[in-house]
Amino acid sequence: MLRYIAMRILLWIPSVLLVMLGVYALAFYGAGDPIKLIFLRAPGDVAYDPVRVEAIRESAGLTKPFLEQFANYLLNLLQGNFGNSLNSGRSVWAMISAAAPVSFKLGLCAIVVTALIAVPLGLVAGLNQNTKLDYTILGSALFLWAIPPYVAGPLLMVGLLLILPGIHVPYGWGGVFDARIILPLVVLSFQPIALIVRQTRAAVIEVLSEDFVRTARAKGVPELFVALKHVLRPVLTPVVTQLGLIMITIINGAIFVELVFGLPGLGRLTVQALINSDYPVILAITLIGSLLVMLSNLLVDVLYPLLDPRAATSMKGR
Amino acid sequence: MAFVPMSVPVPDEAPVSLWRDAWSRLLRNRLAVAGLVMVLVLVFAAAFGPMLTPYDFLSQNLEARNLAPSLSHWFGTDDLGRDVFSRVLYGTRTALIVAVVVTAIAVAIGVALGAVAGFFGGLVDRTIMWFTDMTMSVPNLLLVVVINASLKTPLSQWMEARYLVTLNPFYRETIWVDFLLVFGSMALISWPPYARLVRAQVLTIRSRPYVTAARALGLTNRIILIRYVVPNALGPLIVAVSAGLGSAMVLESAFSFLGVGVNPPTPSWGNMISDGLRVWQHYPHLLAAPAAVLGLATVAFSFLGDGLNDALNPRGSK
Repeated sequence: MLRYIAMRILLWIPSVLLVMLGVYALAFYGAGDPIKLIFLRAPGDVAYDPVRVEAIRESAGLTKPFLEQFANYLLNLLQGNFGNSLNSGRSVWAMISAAAPVSFKLGLCAIVVTALIAVPLGLVAGLNQNTKLDYTILGSALFLWAIPPYVAGPLLMVGLLLILPGIHVPYGWGGVFDARIILPLVVLSFQPIALIVRQTRAAVIEVLSEDFVRTARAKGVPELFVALKHVLRPVLTPVVTQLGLIMITIINGAIFVELVFGLPGLGRLTVQALINSDYPVILAITLIGSLLVMLSNLLVDVLYPLLDPRAATSMKGR
Repeated sequence: MAFVPMSVPVPDEAPVSLWRDAWSRLLRNRLAVAGLVMVLVLVFAAAFGPMLTPYDFLSQNLEARNLAPSLSHWFGTDDLGRDVFSRVLYGTRTALIVAVVVTAIAVAIGVALGAVAGFFGGLVDRTIMWFTDMTMSVPNLLLVVVINASLKTPLSQWMEARYLVTLNPFYRETIWVDFLLVFGSMALISWPPYARLVRAQVLTIRSRPYVTAARALGLTNRIILIRYVVPNALGPLIVAVSAGLGSAMVLESAFSFLGVGVNPPTPSWGNMISDGLRVWQHYPHLLAAPAAVLGLATVAFSFLGDGLNDALNPRGSK
């Protein structure tokens, strides 16, 4: 198992290097000039002086050839140095470590909410296939899937303000136990919930046609017990494998949710970095995002044999 | 689903009954029929929509700005006095073009890579799948936004320069660059699911007796792949495409929200939504109209996709 995990991580390294090379090349050849942008956006009349621009560019190491810059970047990265923001001059690591906890807490809560709501709903829908209940659950899941977070966010805010005129607009961040987290959390969970409800429902329908379910029913096992004992567990296996996909959905969603609700997390940092062509920040976020997705896929592979012992024996055989 | 042609020389006879069978199953599913009807309405609106309204989507009327919905302006007017209903109708065309082109490119790449990987196996398979997993493991929205944001300006500058040198009017139309970039980068993140799906299909199909028979007849790999393997892998692909069309529309609007989508003044639901988000406190109809239509369109495609799934994959239903 350890060897398998090591192999997976080793295989991940070249792929993430390739992606970072791509982003770096885009930054090098395509991006707007970040140094020029600083001057253009500066408050007041900061004179745009080509000599000063060149001086700053020189000191940021932006005049060296492409591969040398990239190699330097990687060397620094290996020493844990993510470089400095081209826009503010702050250390990228400091910016990330200030923003990451917000996003991680929000994302983790969203995953928990998704699991707690979506799996039971999917189970109920699958057990009552083609009934009104099933149509209602499936229909609302498809509906949730169809509303992007940047639309759901503002609409929910309007709705809330209309129903409860006295409340404050939920804007900003106060930690996991602050009331302001509720709305962003709800919006961020919409699409993962829709995804998991559909997955669970499909898996339940598949499992219900298995022989062991028929046997259990024939033995006279109560329906509720069949559902919880015989159906739920084999259903969890395909659902757990969706963790990587959920991760991507949540990372994508966080970009919008943080923007709409003014949360100081990685998503908002990303958008600001994109606007400013601040490539050191974008590269760092790409690396972190890719690492997260890889780790969640790895987690799935590690968990899989625990949920489905058949997979464990086939893995030993390798 | 286990469709096996009776004999190799007459492959056209059996599929008809499969498709007819699936069609009748589809028509029995109320949600799917609702989705199908909505999709047909969308196609109709995209084809003839601009002829149906008395207003031009571009004509401004500064005396009728930000009007609430009324009988003369069904969805009201926007900040330049343009009729929102006409713009939403024209946006249907943009949305469908984006969805169809992006999905077509993604499916072409996905089917080609997936079929080759599954059919040949070995090193080819491993290389292609490594590449697929790599593409899937990067936070995709981030990647395409980076591509778009960094290539847009240089590309249009290059076009401008080409125009000044050649005076070829082709280079004048920067809208093509826009579409090319938006379509290209969206397709770039959309193909991996198709590749994995087709590969999994092909893996089961290639060991079927009719493939062995074709091989025994001495047919080349290319012909076996195109005539026997790919057509039999189409069922699940159609389902995926139907869902993919919906998500491509949502993706387009996400692009516009982040400011890298189809450029104004071409109306797209995405840039109408992102414009609406700026003023929704005062003029909610400017957000609600395009958002509702986008939501409806996505729901329609998911209903249809789910119905197709049940129709083409009867094993799962009772």
